[in-house]
Amino acid sequence: MAAKRGKYLSFKNIIFVFAVLSFAIMIFFIAKDNITSGLNNENAENKVVKKQSFLMGTVITQQVYGANGEIAADEVVRRLEEIEKRVTLNSADSEIYMLNEMAGKGTVSLSKDTIYILSVAKKYAELSNGAFDPTVGPLVKAWGISPGSGRIPGDEEIKSLLPLIDFNDLIIDEEKLTARLEKAGQSVDLGGIAKGYAGDEAIRIYREYGIESAYINLGGNVVTLGNKPDGSPWRIGVQNPRDITGNYVGIIEVSNKTVVTSGDYERYFERDGKRYHHIIDPRTGYPSESGLISATIVCDLSIDADALSTSVFVLGLEKGMELVEKLEGVEAILITNDKNIYVSSGLEGKFNFNEKATDFKYVGKYNRQ
Amino acid sequence: MLGNITGNKTAYKEDDDNKINTEKDKYIIKKGDIYIIAAVLFLTLVSIIVPGIFSAGNNIRPKAVIIQDNKVIKEINLEKIDKAERFEIRGYYNITVLMEQGRIRFEEADCPDKLCVKTGWLSKPGDTAICLPARVIIKIEGEKEDNEDVDGVTY
Repeated sequence: MAAKRGKYLSFKNIIFVFAVLSFAIMIFFIAKDNITSGLNNENAENKVVKKQSFLMGTVITQQVYGANGEIAADEVVRRLEEIEKRVTLNSADSEIYMLNEMAGKGTVSLSKDTIYILSVAKKYAELSNGAFDPTVGPLVKAWGISPGSGRIPGDEEIKSLLPLIDFNDLIIDEEKLTARLEKAGQSVDLGGIAKGYAGDEAIRIYREYGIESAYINLGGNVVTLGNKPDGSPWRIGVQNPRDITGNYVGIIEVSNKTVVTSGDYERYFERDGKRYHHIIDPRTGYPSESGLISATIVCDLSIDADALSTSVFVLGLEKGMELVEKLEGVEAILITNDKNIYVSSGLEGKFNFNEKATDFKYVGKYNRQ
Repeated sequence: MLGNITGNKTAYKEDDDNKINTEKDKYIIKKGDIYIIAAVLFLTLVSIIVPGIFSAGNNIRPKAVIIQDNKVIKEINLEKIDKAERFEIRGYYNITVLMEQGRIRFEEADCPDKLCVKTGWLSKPGDTAICLPARVIIKIEGEKEDNEDVDGVTY
């Protein structure tokens, strides 16, 4: 017995077993990460960070792939907070609040961010002949439309506000980084464009962190970077304007593009069977009745898509499509109140209609009557 | 070295006969050692794979995550709930959350639009209900997210 123990527990054997154990432990630590991450499908390139945050008055969803995903997503949140702080109407220390306060009184110094957003907004106001107008503030305030609530201003009240709505009265000095509003009582509302700029900034930040694949949804504004990690394009649904959020009338596939929709269903209230939605036609002072219930824009920059989706929604099918076809690299999906879906020439054959949306009819490319 | 293992069966027997310090002792690996090596390697493999399987399994099992003001305030394993349970979230608005086995919903909210309540039950990974005024999100997380046929929706 004693001899037997001597054989198995000899000095050499102990050393040997010790060596095997060390080797095994080493394998354990090397293999552990690889095998378990293999099982959980989370190695560095495929690692995905999904983050939802309440920002800019909406929910922002990020889906970022790659090793730097986490820090990039956090950086985006910080950046969006910064942009929100500059352009919000709800805080007395925002730049837009100051610009509005100083309307008719004087010039205000602004950050590069705000000057850039104002300039692009003014550009689209000119391009759409005022169907989109950043100086729509007084009307938006008069209607006060948020989900389920709002008031109907009298005709006289609206008539008295209309002379205040004029983008020509927004004077921007891009060199000196200053701006002013000509008339007292005028105010700028960047609700129709600021989220677009925020989306572009998010993509810029992802790129800075070396990320090649990312998706961000800013309250319905979708912006994509690259393809999905498996190399296929992002599949983006277009909301069914008469169904619950998440149900779509069709799908388009995009990479490195933004997809932004304006619809009459996002924020509205109903009174006496009539729907009062949040997209005010700056020319009439009333919620837009162009015949469109949804306008989706697909292009490269989200700030353009955001301004254009509102412009086209207000312009209506014919004039809206005309504007889209005139612009390089811009495509559109427009849905009319008789539930017909039209696409611009570049999306012909690329819009996959969802057969489940039985109320709707996919017409195809819009041909002017 | 490995060749010696099989080539020294006789030497091993002699060793068994209490002949210590013979020349056979220079062969380091013996039959007993092989068992030990095999056992250690087997245990190593098991300890790598088993937790991996378990953690992968945990990811597939859906859990409800409740976020308020961008912070996770609660995580619930919905499978472990056997009878209806409610709890309140206080904040900008007051919310009652109802849970049953495998599902969860906003039951009541004093927010203006009640879109959160209208969303109804959540049960599949990827299901999400949001109360924007109260800044509360309830979502089901799990390995297999049921994102139907799209990666996202523009609205």
